[in-house]
Amino acid sequence: MTVTFPHKTLPWLLVAPQLLVTLVFFLWPAGQAIEQAFYQEDAFGLSREFVAFENFIELLQDPYYYNSIGVTLVFSMAVAVSGLSIALVLATMADRIIRGQMVYQTLLIWPYAVAPALAGVLWWILFDPAQGPIALWLEYMGIEWDHFVNGGDAMVLVVIAATWKQISYNFLFFLAGLQAIPRSLIEAAAIDGAGPVRRFWDIVFPLLSPTAFFLLVMNIVYAFFETFGVIDATTAGGPGQSTKILVYKVYEDGFVGLDLGGSAAQSVILMMIVGLMTVVQFRFIERRVQY
Amino acid sequence: MIENRPWLTFISHSVLILGIIAVALPIWVAIVASTHPAEAFGQGSVPLWFGNYATETWQTVLFSAAGNGVDVPVWKMMFNSLVMAIAIAFGKIAISLISAYAIVFFRFPFRSLCFWLIFMTLMLPVEVRILPTYEVVAKLNLLNSYTGLALPLIASATATFLFRQAFMAMPGELVEAARMDGAGPVRFFFDILLPLTRTNIAALFVILFIYGWNQYLWPLLITTDDAYYTLVMSIKRMVSVADGAIEWNSIMATTILAMLPPVAVVIGMQKMFVKGLVDSEK
Amino acid sequence: MAAVVLSKVGKKYPNGFHAIPAVDLDIKDGEFIVLVGPSGCGKSTLLRMVAGLETITNGELSINGTRMNDREPADRDIAMVFQSYALYPHMTVAGNMGYGLKNRGVDKESIEKKVNEVAKMLDLTHLLERKPKQLSGGQRQRVAMGRAMVRDPQVFLFDEPLSNLDAKLRVQMRVEIRQLQRKLGTTTLYVTHDQVEAMTLADRLVVLNQGHAEQIGSPLELYERPATPFVAAFIGSPAMNLFSATLDSNNLILGENESVLLKTQHEFNGPVTWGIRPEHLVVCEQDADFKMRVKAVESLGAETLIYGAIDGVNQDLVLRLSGPHQPEINSEIGLKAPQDKWHLFDANTQQRLP
Repeated sequence: MTVTFPHKTLPWLLVAPQLLVTLVFFLWPAGQAIEQAFYQEDAFGLSREFVAFENFIELLQDPYYYNSIGVTLVFSMAVAVSGLSIALVLATMADRIIRGQMVYQTLLIWPYAVAPALAGVLWWILFDPAQGPIALWLEYMGIEWDHFVNGGDAMVLVVIAATWKQISYNFLFFLAGLQAIPRSLIEAAAIDGAGPVRRFWDIVFPLLSPTAFFLLVMNIVYAFFETFGVIDATTAGGPGQSTKILVYKVYEDGFVGLDLGGSAAQSVILMMIVGLMTVVQFRFIERRVQY
Repeated sequence: MIENRPWLTFISHSVLILGIIAVALPIWVAIVASTHPAEAFGQGSVPLWFGNYATETWQTVLFSAAGNGVDVPVWKMMFNSLVMAIAIAFGKIAISLISAYAIVFFRFPFRSLCFWLIFMTLMLPVEVRILPTYEVVAKLNLLNSYTGLALPLIASATATFLFRQAFMAMPGELVEAARMDGAGPVRFFFDILLPLTRTNIAALFVILFIYGWNQYLWPLLITTDDAYYTLVMSIKRMVSVADGAIEWNSIMATTILAMLPPVAVVIGMQKMFVKGLVDSEK
Repeated sequence: MAAVVLSKVGKKYPNGFHAIPAVDLDIKDGEFIVLVGPSGCGKSTLLRMVAGLETITNGELSINGTRMNDREPADRDIAMVFQSYALYPHMTVAGNMGYGLKNRGVDKESIEKKVNEVAKMLDLTHLLERKPKQLSGGQRQRVAMGRAMVRDPQVFLFDEPLSNLDAKLRVQMRVEIRQLQRKLGTTTLYVTHDQVEAMTLADRLVVLNQGHAEQIGSPLELYERPATPFVAAFIGSPAMNLFSATLDSNNLILGENESVLLKTQHEFNGPVTWGIRPEHLVVCEQDADFKMRVKAVESLGAETLIYGAIDGVNQDLVLRLSGPHQPEINSEIGLKAPQDKWHLFDANTQQRLP
């Protein structure tokens, strides 16, 4: 047990700022979203009507909403799988190297610091159908590319931009995970006659799986909630609905479509998703500590 | 490594160098693009080698106007970004430090309720409750202000947990020794606790600075007055001008300037950055 | 300098557990009192109650006649040396030692003067600018003592201060602590689980068992006339040989089939615990009281410890002889237990028989 100070008012003063910000800017808006989800309001905010679950029912009958769920799943899985596999390859290689490891690390991790919106713009210019060097090269290879027209192309672009930024994060955690594997285990396997590839699959990979699972969760959270900037700065959800992830749809329906009730209902559903992910994350962290 | 197989080492280096090239490719193109005049774009490929328009582009962007409909110079937006990033990082650390202090070192009614309220913020990222939060800030008259940019973002469950963890790991006898030495709660906080969590604070500051600097959606919504534009969000305004009229050279120069400070922080304070990243995911 | 009085001091936890029922202890000015007992006996809790780090739930604690129960630790004019030393890792040795004075508003020059004075006494002068990390275990221990000393407190409290040191250093620091305490004359309360440390340091010892003070007295008193079998077993190394026995019409009966009978003169009749220290058994060829079958021998050079058992008595016993001896395993040694070295305890009340 920790030693505590006997004091009545001081602790309240100390938690007050955090609580105040939490209440005013987190819980109050969340409460309003929940309330709003049960009302229908006209675009000018003049009249408002209690509609119970109608906003939710409407949402669940909306094909665009299902489309958005599908887009989100495809997008987040693509980002997670490509980000994790590329990072794992790079980290495994970096772990082999003794001299110059720090230099490689430095040159690989800096994209973490680039804002998602900037990452989007950087890749846009490379893939710009009219002048982007990669788009032109693809055309030269006989592959049509226009992410302003073709939904699939647009998805590939946002996945690349989002993954590019996330590789650094995955790389760091994988490298740390690899370095935490006791040398003696690898040496024991080598004495048992396992070559480098075999050792990777039989020893390293299983021991790395907690890290991989942790990163999978973190990458999905990232793709769900932190890639707004990538989408907004490059495709704005288009063409059509092809890159409209859930978070983008909440924003668009609320701020552009002014469908306050519908947007609020989406907010409520998203909050539940985050809640679920937080639980998964925490459950998992307990296990990671034990490992 | 156990076997000394030169070809394996060679492959490792090759893969890593390939990775670095792929990662750096966009930056190369961006830097090159910023050295050409706006007219160089739109016809054929984006230039892949340096032009001689660098000084003009960078000077214009930095000191007169970023262009593409954004009439403020980059240095001004950079200042705004800096204010926001530092206010967010500093604010988060300050309020999390003291609330974690209260939760660990005092016993008071509703202590665990406070803890859970703070915990709930983890489940409520701005992105999912963006509209009502905007309305609250509008009601409080905080649109187009530094307060509005930073204040709603400074509650932090992650930072509070981190400090709570650090405080709880502190040896009990150390706290007792300080009490025997006559240190009251305030003195204990400044004389013992703060110096001992110094590295945690520094590591977290690095992460939070990047977080604050890279804010996008929030400033996009609450700043309509370009005196309060931040650098990252201005990119959206710049690429939204009518198609064909985009001045790619100034956009690229602005982009590079927008990522320079946080990238410099990551590279320059790599150790702190890695520690902060690992700490805050615990 | 001060007298410390504990009257019926006790500790009851909110969950109902009575860690310490009620301890009475009268510490005279300048006395060195050691609280000793096995782990979990409540000795640290008692010390921390005196320090003010644990609340006293019943009874009264007074220092120099003033009631202290509700005073903050810092206001009791005491100083404590912790088991882990609890040095502030970010402060220099001088900073650590002066911190308590600084908090009490003492001016800089006085602090410096006092710190230098104590540092000189403890041979720490050349280390004053170092951080705790850069010190050895013994040096850290000394700094922890220095921190307690600079304040000239009324009472020193030590909570197992030597348990983190290696054996050699522990002996050296033990001597040093005793000398310092004599020199300063400060009333001292010292907690340890090590009975050798307890015996060598204390003016008076308090043997604690499950929150009770089993016996309070000088080291020799406790050695020569332990009040209970617990104290008898705890004080002395190797521990006293204790046997369940019966006193019956001037016979002490050991073992099941009256296999050993010792003649004595005693008014008491009934079950007893009989004890004799390993060093008080005498080897003899003839007229032995009983014979011991040798099971193991530990030769320590200056002395020899022989472990064995008496045939028909279901308990082992230890014999301590000075100098080297090499009896064969399974051989028999005749032993005599001189009556003036006996310890007899009533088996029911666990109290010493006169």
